Amino acid sequence: MKFWVSRLVGAFALILTVSAITFGAMNILGDPLFNILGPTAGDVSNPESVAKIEAAEAQFNLDKPLPVRWALWLGDFVTGDFGVQFSATGQPPVSDLIAERLPRSLMLLVMAQTMAVIISVPWAIWSAAKANSAVDRTSTVMTFLLIGMPTFALGIILKYGLSIRFDWFPATFVANDPFWTRAWQMFLPALTLALPSAAVYQRLLRTDLITTLQEDFILTARSKGVSKRNVLFKHALRPSLFSFITIAGVTTGTLIGGALVVEQIFRIPGLGSAIVEAILREDFPVVLAIVMIVTITFVVLNVLIDILYSIIDPRVRAS
Amino acid sequence: MNEHESFHHPGPSRTETDSPLLALDNLKTHFRTERGLVRAVDGVTLTLNRGEALGVVGESGSGKTVLSRSLMGLLPGSAVTSGSVKFAGQEILDLPMKQRRHLWGAEMSMVFQNPLNSLNPLMKIGKQIAEPLRLHLSMDKANARETAVALLKSVRIPEPERRLNQYPHELSGGMRQRVMIAMALACGPTVLFADEPTTALDVTVQAQILEVIGEQRRDRNMSVVLVTHDLGVVAGHTDQIAVMYSGKLVERAPTKTLFAEMRMPYTKSLLKSIPKLADPSHTRLATITGRPPDLVNPPKGCNFAQRCPYARPKCHVEEPALEPTADPNHVFACWYPVGSPEFTEREAELEAAGYVPATVAGVS
Amino acid sequence: MSDLGMTEADAVGHEDPYPERFLPHEGDQDDKAEKRKLGFAFWLCTAWLVAVIGLAIFAPYLAIKSPNVNFVQPGERPPYSPSGEHWFGTDQDARDMFSRTIYGARTSLTVGFSAIAFGLLVGGTLGLLAGYFRGKIDQIISFGFLSLLSFPALILAILITSLLERSLLTIAITIGILSVAPVGRVSRATTISFADREFVLAARSLGARHPRIIVRELLPNVLIPMGAFSLLGVAIAIVAEGSLAFLGLSVEKGPTWGKIILTASQSSRDLENAPYMAFFPIGVLFLTVLALNFAGDRLRSFFDVRELSL
Repeated sequence: MKFWVSRLVGAFALILTVSAITFGAMNILGDPLFNILGPTAGDVSNPESVAKIEAAEAQFNLDKPLPVRWALWLGDFVTGDFGVQFSATGQPPVSDLIAERLPRSLMLLVMAQTMAVIISVPWAIWSAAKANSAVDRTSTVMTFLLIGMPTFALGIILKYGLSIRFDWFPATFVANDPFWTRAWQMFLPALTLALPSAAVYQRLLRTDLITTLQEDFILTARSKGVSKRNVLFKHALRPSLFSFITIAGVTTGTLIGGALVVEQIFRIPGLGSAIVEAILREDFPVVLAIVMIVTITFVVLNVLIDILYSIIDPRVRAS
Repeated sequence: MNEHESFHHPGPSRTETDSPLLALDNLKTHFRTERGLVRAVDGVTLTLNRGEALGVVGESGSGKTVLSRSLMGLLPGSAVTSGSVKFAGQEILDLPMKQRRHLWGAEMSMVFQNPLNSLNPLMKIGKQIAEPLRLHLSMDKANARETAVALLKSVRIPEPERRLNQYPHELSGGMRQRVMIAMALACGPTVLFADEPTTALDVTVQAQILEVIGEQRRDRNMSVVLVTHDLGVVAGHTDQIAVMYSGKLVERAPTKTLFAEMRMPYTKSLLKSIPKLADPSHTRLATITGRPPDLVNPPKGCNFAQRCPYARPKCHVEEPALEPTADPNHVFACWYPVGSPEFTEREAELEAAGYVPATVAGVS
Repeated sequence: MSDLGMTEADAVGHEDPYPERFLPHEGDQDDKAEKRKLGFAFWLCTAWLVAVIGLAIFAPYLAIKSPNVNFVQPGERPPYSPSGEHWFGTDQDARDMFSRTIYGARTSLTVGFSAIAFGLLVGGTLGLLAGYFRGKIDQIISFGFLSLLSFPALILAILITSLLERSLLTIAITIGILSVAPVGRVSRATTISFADREFVLAARSLGARHPRIIVRELLPNVLIPMGAFSLLGVAIAIVAEGSLAFLGLSVEKGPTWGKIILTASQSSRDLENAPYMAFFPIGVLFLTVLALNFAGDRLRSFFDVRELSL
């Protein structure tokens, strides 16, 4: 119980810290007023623009000190109010943009993570069952190459090979297409993200499986007459999943970063493109909202992993 | 499940014939390693009758564990076996792995040294015991569960129903070893290999576990191969003892005979290394000095010669063969065995130099 | 071996009731022998790195074409395919891809190495302090690392680069900041593994002051494994520059690997008609990253750096 309390407190502290750093950096290094009003913001001699400035300051709480503004923003954020976009052309709520972009990025990430798992688990089991054979050595080299491959390079290679040279997969995303068509269009981008992660997972799971296979209880299972195949699946796999799960969680952070680049290469207007555009426009509320969403996802994932641990391992459950 | 239809069980039905349950003839198990061929078991000949208990004794590295694993067929891919192992009259050494596997858990099973690691930590006890039942006897879940409870009861585990839903970490070491035994006995095997089954346990628990194994042997008319480094363990629980050294059998005798008139100096040293309850605490134990020889390049002559205080030049040159004593069931391999004039002479010399001789008294 | 096998050395194990300990241990020598050799592939990687770094450094003094001149051939529309004149072909503006790749290496490698230098300086120092002093200091620094790590790296980089002018220095520092937390955690873990060793305890009991122990006793020991680790970091930093370039946020002036690959691959038509434009620089970048990874990996196991309790 104590463990879970400290775990949750830590998670909240982390989310608060990240939001404070982001909020502070954006407000200190940039000038929000300028982004709202444009050149008018610097025109203090003109009473008309001074009025505008004062109105804007009041509206966006810019007249208050930074910590107060952070607290106010946080209060709104908790209630689901992400504020309005800083833009000259009207001020649509940030949540509209998020609602439009988030599902695409989410789909990309979920597809990528699923593919990575689907590829890596059988691959690792196969490698571990044939440890140190030619097959195993070859796949070790392959994982090394995949892990070293930059996302953008892999994206270009896949796009060129599987879409331009052989027209097997679509390379562009069309926002208005039906769901399954869009999912199909996301195949290559997701694969680009999935392959290097799959290689990381494969390595880890293979090593853990080989270690588990040397445990005494594996010999016990064999001595009961359980087939090699069932020893692998029923006895060895589950105890080998721990680091795999941890890394799968941690990798999600890397995947989010990779997704930005992949969204650029395959022209998917997702959260990645949204944050790049927002940063270039210095549209702070959007940046803040996206950073927060990403951070919260990350933190929640890590807590979920802890829960998953306790499901897999009865010993964790007990302590 | 009809997985084992292809193999005719040489089980209980066949053992009515005269052939012994297990007959080993010049069994060799070698491992291919980067350093060369490791001769872990190097020509062992033995027989074991139904219902009999055999103790295999030796230091670590003497090949006793590899011997028991070779009989099961539970060896890594680098192992090469030759010779012959007949199980109820049928040669099993050259059986394909798939058929051999159907013997495991069904006809022959194994209990391992460390009960802490030998049970799957993430699987409930009940499921682990049910596994061989469902596999070999094609029992349904309910049936397997019932049988598991009966098995747990038979190895004297209190509250057997509750145990089924527990995980290994919730049980004590002794309990876990009982579970291991229950699991090994699940399908009513004709031979049980117990590889150092008590080494990892407390002294009081050790006795209980040995008692349970002995009880089951009598009840089921099952053979037991008890592998251990501790002569004290096999003393009261076996009919026959085989002493191994560097992959070879060096002495074999009915248990009583062995303790009464052991011939091999190595057996004698093993006996001296047993701590006795009667000893005052902090008594120095006479252990065997030196290491077992390199199994890749075994020395010329008798393998034990280098560590044997009674060795003479001949021992380093010529290898003694297994010779029977007056009792044809008692064989040993030594040029100057316990009781020979050369042995007695050397013992007197050693005694004069302050070396404490071995006493057989106090055991059994 | 003596005749009776009763030598002094053999008698050491007398008090052990089990003869178990005398088991000959098989196989562990082989592992160590493997670790003590760097191997041919390591030197191959080193040779490649030396070649690329050498070309990058001395590019202005070698007979290499200028990366910014347009070699337009009358009557033909660029990009031009690889030829004896242009080894890697040219880009859409008829600029020589070979020289752009080499000049790109100048920027990319500078960014990579200086970013990790920054990471080592800041993260390495913080990790050293956290690992040496433990307690409150450790808690604060470790929480800082964790906060940094909980940003997806690229988002953090975008945040910083968007707020600053994008010069070589700021890009290097940005990527350097990203490396602070990972480098710091390794440095902390390595320090912890050394902080309890005899030589440190001895120094402490002799009354040595903290700064002296850190600089004299710990730093030299932590530096070697950190060096091996930082080779992997350089590879990651080079890739990070490329990723930033794809987001339009890399160094503004001059070619970088990321920028030339982006230019070459931006339109699907260019990629279809002139794939060499993208694939030559990708190949060079990939080989360099691989060489860094492999060399770092070898060095790491050579110096036996364990992952420890990160």
